[in-house]
Amino acid sequence: MTRSALNPSCRRWSITLILSWLFTGVALAAVVGGLGLLLIESAPAWKHSGFEFVIGKKWFFRQSEFGAAPMIYGSIIVAILAMILAAPVGIGAAIFGVEYLPRKWRLGLKVTVELLAGIPSVVYGLLGILLLRNWIYEVFQDFDPLSGDTLLTAGVLLGLMILPTIMTLADDALRGVPGTLRLAARGLGLTATETALHVSVPQAFPGLLAAVLLALGRAMGETIAVFLVIGRQDNQWPSSILSLKPLLESGQTLTSKLGGSETNIAYGQPLHWGAIMGLGLVLLSLVVIITLTGAWLQRISFRQHQQHS
Amino acid sequence: MKRKLIHHLFRALTGLCALASCAILAGIVASIVMRGWSALNWDFFTQQIALVGASGGIFYNVIGTLILLATAFVVCTPLALGFSIVHSVYLRDSHWRGKLTLLLYLLNGVPSILFGIVGMVIFVQVLGWGKSWLAGGILLGLMILPTVSVTLIERIGSLPIKYTEAAIGLGLRKSQIIRSVILPQSIGGLITGLMLGLARAAGETAPIMFTATIFAGASIPGGIKESPVLSLPYHIFILAQDSYDPAVKAKLWGSALVLIILVLGLSLVALPARLKIHEEANHA
Repeated sequence: MTRSALNPSCRRWSITLILSWLFTGVALAAVVGGLGLLLIESAPAWKHSGFEFVIGKKWFFRQSEFGAAPMIYGSIIVAILAMILAAPVGIGAAIFGVEYLPRKWRLGLKVTVELLAGIPSVVYGLLGILLLRNWIYEVFQDFDPLSGDTLLTAGVLLGLMILPTIMTLADDALRGVPGTLRLAARGLGLTATETALHVSVPQAFPGLLAAVLLALGRAMGETIAVFLVIGRQDNQWPSSILSLKPLLESGQTLTSKLGGSETNIAYGQPLHWGAIMGLGLVLLSLVVIITLTGAWLQRISFRQHQQHS
Repeated sequence: MKRKLIHHLFRALTGLCALASCAILAGIVASIVMRGWSALNWDFFTQQIALVGASGGIFYNVIGTLILLATAFVVCTPLALGFSIVHSVYLRDSHWRGKLTLLLYLLNGVPSILFGIVGMVIFVQVLGWGKSWLAGGILLGLMILPTVSVTLIERIGSLPIKYTEAAIGLGLRKSQIIRSVILPQSIGGLITGLMLGLARAAGETAPIMFTATIFAGASIPGGIKESPVLSLPYHIFILAQDSYDPAVKAKLWGSALVLIILVLGLSLVALPARLKIHEEANHA
């Protein structure tokens, strides 16, 4: 695969060439088609509500009132909560693996954590429904929650689910820091911890931030586990955006709404269906923005270290 | 002294984080095994669902999930192969390559429920298939495309240059190099990626709940239109919302145990190889 292999004179039509481009084309067409469909099908809702669709606080489909703000709020709060819980543990575990463990043990740790990532979300949801929900209800009894179906429950569950993502990406970022930098620091007499805190972590910072952001994107798109424990209460808007009270109340996220029965009954009424597809488009936009930022930070981190080594 | 103390404290703290991560896995697996073990017996695997999940077994649920996985496998393999070859060989020196990589990242980030609702419009409504195993398999196949492609691309990227150089020296054309050098050498990456992808697909509920799977009353599908299947994740998803009957609960934990055995089994076989490929590609 050196440059000469790509010399245009070598390029001839062949089955391999045609098939690989064909299948690539099919994959691209599916992506573009899906995106196009979201845009076209959600058009009636945008025409009907305009920007009010994003900032409106009321969703009553029988009155043709579509405001997605409470769901956007739910999605963001739950994802941020998950991130706050998972980021320190995930990054801590990654630091331990890279800075203190021998290679074999580090890989073992990574395999274990990635196995955790493989557990299906419906199983997390089941654990949430049968165990975590009751536990949250009992622990926070002093605050009189109506039930164990709260934003907090969903956040804790999501925190468990994105822990492996954070850990594994943070591990990649820390591993990207050239070993020579570590050796130099150790040579200057720094302890392993000082090397980790003053050399590796600052060097890997954009990559660590990327790990957190990509996990945030994951958390925001997670459906089934959240659906099962969040209570799916529409139109929950906090009295103050910084208030912690809604954490112990039921709520709704973009994904739990999309996964609910309204998706089944909406099809056939262009406006209602448009609103559902609009929610999908809002969700996709949020996730894409977060993922793009994360990918951009990862690239910065990567380039920086290429210059070093 | 103070520096040493900080060193030990920080090491212990991060070690605790690592330990906690492992303990969470152990805790989740243990709690499911303990509760689900008693439900597993011959009848559970060979009987149909009965009494809304309180009795009978999960025979057709397992079959349905396997049908969906086989379809996803068939759909994803050519797409991932084509995409990876175009990405790593035909566009090797093109600025489009980076854009394709980014596209894979984005596709990987797309929430699975979006596959479900977009699939519902296309397959259920526009094509008029109703709920169909084929729709579910296609959606799952597309969903795992990034997982499979990234593994394959990393594997191709870490092939020693001398292989291709030798092939060029022999006068092979590019398509011949792909067929007789690159693909045979990187097939392990494809298999590893597929196993991880299928492990993910096996547990997904959101893409198939509106498009392919129902709770009861389906067996082996006979055609494409109106041919839903039962599936393990959807079974758990529905029963979990109605889990107050102790008889249901026992079967529920049993189904969850079967699902994680399937998923963790696939991941456990593929993960070490996957991590090795990843390390070779990124930290050589």
